Amino acid sequence: MSIGIGLSTEKDSFLATKDALQRAIKNIRQERVDLAIIFSSIEFAHSRTVKTINSLLGPVPVVGCTSAALICNEGIFKHGIAIMLLNFPQGVYFKTASAAEINSKNAFEAGEELGEKLNLGFKDIQRRLAIILSDGLMEDGSGFIYGIQEKLGGNFPIVGASASDNLRFLRTMIYSHQEVITNAACGILWGGSLNFGLGIKHGWKPLGKPRHVTKAEGNIVYEIDGAYAAKLYEEYLACDVAQLKKELKIVSIFYPIGVYLADKEEYLVRNILAIRNDGALVCQGNIPSDSQIRLMIGTKESCLAAAREAAGQAKKALVSGKAEFVLMFDSISRYMLLGRDAVKELEIVKNEFGSGVPVLGFYTYGEQGPLSAVSYQGKAYSHNQTITLLAIGG
Amino acid sequence: MPGIPSIISTFFSIAAFAVTASLAVLLFSKVKTVKNLNEKIDDLEKSLDEMDEQAKLIVRTDVELNKAQEELAKKITGLYALQRLARAISTTLQENMIFKMIEPANLEDLGFELACGFLWNDKERRFALYLNVGYSEDEIKIVRSSVDADKNFYLELIKNGKTFSPISHPENEALIKRTDDVFDVAYFVVCPILPKDGSKGFLFVGTRRTDISLTEGDQELITILANQMAQALENARLFEKIWLSQQELERKVEERTRALTLALDTVKAISKRKTDFISSVSHELRTPLTSIKGYASILTAEKLGALPAAAKERLEKINAHSDELVHMINDLLDIARIEAGKTAMKTEEQKIESIIDHAADIISIQCKNKNIELITDIQGNIPALLLDRSQIERVFINLLGNAVKFTPQKGKITVRAGLKDNQLQVDVSDTGIGIPPDALNQLFQEFYRVDNPINQQVKGTGLGLSLVKHIIEAHGGNISVESTPGKGSTFSFTLPLKKP
Repeated sequence: MSIGIGLSTEKDSFLATKDALQRAIKNIRQERVDLAIIFSSIEFAHSRTVKTINSLLGPVPVVGCTSAALICNEGIFKHGIAIMLLNFPQGVYFKTASAAEINSKNAFEAGEELGEKLNLGFKDIQRRLAIILSDGLMEDGSGFIYGIQEKLGGNFPIVGASASDNLRFLRTMIYSHQEVITNAACGILWGGSLNFGLGIKHGWKPLGKPRHVTKAEGNIVYEIDGAYAAKLYEEYLACDVAQLKKELKIVSIFYPIGVYLADKEEYLVRNILAIRNDGALVCQGNIPSDSQIRLMIGTKESCLAAAREAAGQAKKALVSGKAEFVLMFDSISRYMLLGRDAVKELEIVKNEFGSGVPVLGFYTYGEQGPLSAVSYQGKAYSHNQTITLLAIGG
Repeated sequence: MPGIPSIISTFFSIAAFAVTASLAVLLFSKVKTVKNLNEKIDDLEKSLDEMDEQAKLIVRTDVELNKAQEELAKKITGLYALQRLARAISTTLQENMIFKMIEPANLEDLGFELACGFLWNDKERRFALYLNVGYSEDEIKIVRSSVDADKNFYLELIKNGKTFSPISHPENEALIKRTDDVFDVAYFVVCPILPKDGSKGFLFVGTRRTDISLTEGDQELITILANQMAQALENARLFEKIWLSQQELERKVEERTRALTLALDTVKAISKRKTDFISSVSHELRTPLTSIKGYASILTAEKLGALPAAAKERLEKINAHSDELVHMINDLLDIARIEAGKTAMKTEEQKIESIIDHAADIISIQCKNKNIELITDIQGNIPALLLDRSQIERVFINLLGNAVKFTPQKGKITVRAGLKDNQLQVDVSDTGIGIPPDALNQLFQEFYRVDNPINQQVKGTGLGLSLVKHIIEAHGGNISVESTPGKGSTFSFTLPLKKP
């Protein structure tokens, strides 16, 4: 497998795309390019960028999305465009697909649609892994991922990230072949001889008494312990709903809700997207009724410790122990919590896999993947606040 | 005596009692355990509640910490961005480039993603857009027309020099709402840009993000930025002004130089014509004059027969006047030759002392006649110089002759020679009648004669000092004069030393 990554921070989208692509081509040292993966800041998300890629690269499948900040070996960049070119050896297969207008459809059905498209043409080939990039402002992300899971198989490993838009929360974009589209998702289904390792960790710790969700539906929690859900935050933060709404960003990043999964002995973290006037909490990802939940708290140390754990897990699972490249989907919450120390996470990943291994990723509005990451055979969940590392071996 | 049944019944009674008793004991202990357990549960619940209360305290403290940390991080990031911007702006000397320095990345670090900059165009009576960050072409069109419509508001803002934001003017809800709508933002800061001279304007920054709130710190940073921009505009305009005036100056100097060169060329041409004219006229005059003088000499010598005394006297006058004319024509020719560069100085190593002595000898008779004291003061260390002896003698004879002419009886003439500033300096001073200041400038011009009683009586050509000047300059020296009317004059000239 040959990899070439190129990054550019030029301001003009044509120049930046050309610059990034030229660097990637130089790094890949192969004539044939099989696949291009693109992450960019939101200002590059227009047709000129895609046209430039197509005219310079020819008819190569392109997938990607917009970011809140780019991650690559050189560092973290709020603005820019990063392009990864891949050349696969014989025996590795892949298929790309996209689904549009997903917010106007039922999330589960939209997920099924993408799953079905990805499956096409994989009849006699052993499927290995799916990577999904989806709209970052989708409310029912869990439903969408369950829909894909339904079509790919109950235990099929799915890893994904939600696109972001430099913290504007206006619209996120997906790159798919000749298009750049909002309100969409795209994916890559991999098959054949491919080995990979996965690590997903958040590092947030439970705090205070366990609570019970007494009324919930999808991603909306109405009642906790019989009272309106927002009361939980009112009690802990000693402020009313109006104030809470104002400080939602801090609440959401620093004190998300942890849903206890008894069989996995793990907490699934849920960000709060909005507080409704009736005191219901709109979460990023679903919380089933009767769940046991805790308020979660994160610190820089616990965050970095989780990054080390995730990197260790992902590396351990590689057959050869050596990664060809690493995809890093890192929650924007971690970027905000770590602030200037955000680059330390990247250092941890580079140290674990070796500084010569190409790393590409971005800060997301959400991550998807199986919970028991060691076996990564299992249902994919919608996560918040995690560092999700996907290491692809030879 | 009790029967067996009675014994049995007693046994059973005892047994029943024992069982009951033990059951009671058991029950009692169970009840106690339950009670203990309940107490423990109560304790646990209590400590759990206490723990939860502690958790609340932890969260609240953590919130405060995080907020403070975030505010600090934001400030630091903002300050760094401001520093970067200030550095870029302050080194920019072009007006429109100052605005272009405000780039999205720096703006974002200041907490905003949208910005516009306007400067007032007095001619068109409207604000001109100089900066647009984050607005699409369609959006900026709307912004421009709204700013046009509200121009009086912005002009007032500039006049008052006040920053306008939801923090600075919270009471002005209608205007805040209007600004939010016009610029399509959640928060904004509008800050006037006030350079001392030239057109003023304002900087608008805004954000569409609703999850953050505007702080006084943000407003402060933007105000500083606007002030920096004003300062940079002042510098740019000053630079432009200086540059323009320098250009103007250079143009004027060039123009003048051209005019002067032209005038100099004209002067040179005229001067050459004059020299040529004098030269040819003198030559033409010399031939008939030579015949006149020749015939006059023959007649005076009475070679053609004796002459009556009266005729002889007249002929001698003709002869004397002819001599004067010849002298004058020779001087004129010399000047013309030197000017035309035709006379090369025949330089040889000469001791100045011997030249002065020789000249003094010649002039001493005249001095004695007028009872004038002639002093020569020559330093001993003067080396030999490269000079045209006959010409330099002419200089001394001319200067000393003049001195004698204008110095009354019992006066004093001093010739001083010495080394000064690596050249020879000679001063010829007298105690004569002096030269009026207004005549000093023209003294060395040809045919110039100072208007005084002596000159009215004594004849002269007005060529002597001009010739002296020409000779000194041809040797690479300079001549000057200082004089106090009634007290005396000093003619000073320099001659370069022979190069080693």
